[in-house]
Amino acid sequence: MIVRSPSWIWRRVDLALLAGCVVLAVLPVVLEPSAYTHNQLTFLFLTSAGALAWNWLGGFVGQVSFGHAAMFGVGGFVAARLMLSLHLPAPLGWLGGAVVAGGFALGAHPLLRLRGPYFSIATIGVGEASRLGFTYWESFTGGSSGLSLAIDGDLQYQLYWWALALAAAVAAASLAIRRSSLGLKLLAIKADADAAADVGISATFYQDLICVLSGAVVGLTGGLYASYQSFIEPTDMFGFERSITFVLMAVIGGVGTPLGALLGAVVFVLVRIYLLASYPDLYLGLYGVLLILIILFEPLGLTGLARRGLRWVRRAPAPPGAAS
Amino acid sequence: MTLLATRGLTKRFGGLCAVDGVDLELGDREILGVIGPNGAGKTTLFSLIAGSIRPTSGEIVLDGHRVTGLPAHRSVRAGIVRTHQIVRPFGTLTVFENVLVAAMHLSRTATGHARDRAAEVLEFVGLSDRQGHYPATLTLAGRKRLELARALSTGPRVLLLDEVVAGINPTEALALTALIRRVRDERGISVIMTEHVMPAVMSLSDRIFVLDRGKPIARGTPQEVVANPLVVTAYLGTSAGEGAGP
Repeated sequence: MIVRSPSWIWRRVDLALLAGCVVLAVLPVVLEPSAYTHNQLTFLFLTSAGALAWNWLGGFVGQVSFGHAAMFGVGGFVAARLMLSLHLPAPLGWLGGAVVAGGFALGAHPLLRLRGPYFSIATIGVGEASRLGFTYWESFTGGSSGLSLAIDGDLQYQLYWWALALAAAVAAASLAIRRSSLGLKLLAIKADADAAADVGISATFYQDLICVLSGAVVGLTGGLYASYQSFIEPTDMFGFERSITFVLMAVIGGVGTPLGALLGAVVFVLVRIYLLASYPDLYLGLYGVLLILIILFEPLGLTGLARRGLRWVRRAPAPPGAAS
Repeated sequence: MTLLATRGLTKRFGGLCAVDGVDLELGDREILGVIGPNGAGKTTLFSLIAGSIRPTSGEIVLDGHRVTGLPAHRSVRAGIVRTHQIVRPFGTLTVFENVLVAAMHLSRTATGHARDRAAEVLEFVGLSDRQGHYPATLTLAGRKRLELARALSTGPRVLLLDEVVAGINPTEALALTALIRRVRDERGISVIMTEHVMPAVMSLSDRIFVLDRGKPIARGTPQEVVANPLVVTAYLGTSAGEGAGP
């Protein structure tokens, strides 16, 4: 399974990404969408950033984590606590959450020597243990009743650009990693960790590094999400469903591809908007069907489909009469 | 001059002593052949020297420095690299990238330098025209050359070749044998090789080291070793009524 694109696709991806960010950045000013749309887009950016960062570990290194909600929750609660107890401004709170979440992710070090399904199963355990631990740590998380942040209308509005900047930065970082020597080393580790060690690449070091970076960014996303929701509670933040969501978005979009998770996040948010309210059961069923179809027919998800389409267009003969 | 030496190198797996007190010396620019029947401990010996597994006891010294128990990626930085009997190319990387990624640990700052070295090594092993292809499109002999190229691009002083010639056709085997000789002659790299293909190992090796059930039973020039009754016994066994040695 080849997870990379030829260079002619890269240039277009860069341009499309840049253009998309510019359009989205000026959109609220030009079109003045409703508060609902504004909020949904903010949510989309946060979701995208989380899924893209999950993909660093799950896709680039190939260690599929079902426990990333732990870092999301830690980032969210630490950020909320910093804002509530120390009255730090929101961006500092988010940053603090990210740092602690990155450190928390380093706790996965002993798990990272496991590979494949064994690692995945172990992360389920870590995720669930974190959920229970933080639910019972009432003095910090408020237990089942959670924490409420002061509602700040301006911040809610500005969060759109914060979230957009975060998603754009994570997307750019994903592309940069894939094209760098680091990206090549990660591909080598994913292909064969032992053979990588035999050519001087420490799988342990790079897995730890990516796990911390991925955890920190997911924690940062958790912090912004806390401000977005103004109310957070452990079952939602640390829930297994949240961990699954990261996996789903990456798989639907194209696991291991740098920007596939972005497509996955768009589909996820759209489906959520249209189906969650009216058919809450159908919503999960649809994901199940989508997941089965993708795993059976297109392991690279929507990205794989898009690449097939592009190749098909490229190979198709020019229409008669077109300039040669 | 001794470049690499092991002293009393031992590896036990539970009750099985796979490598049992091996003292081995490799000279500078020497090709040392390690032979022995199946299960003699050749691959385990390689894994120990390359750092893939840790020895139970004994030590490994490279150019006066102890490298015992270093993990594999640090052994590579120290200058010891291995190839695998069953080739293990990185399937999602092109031939060029396979070699490039192995060249990176030396020049972490200058990727340009790593690219030059990767290109040079691919030229050396004769895979330049395949550099944009994926390893799965290569023949087995091609993948063995790739395995060799990947090891060479790490800039080793000691190269451990685990059955590189086995399993390919005689013409390719001859070409690969010549290539291994050039690795020593042109690049000045010392080689330890295990091989079941006797013509290859006998013609290449300056000295031969024979292992049987983890223990060294003979060493010497290829001519001395094939004439050694212990070696004949280890390979062919003894006929009924005959003693187990001279």
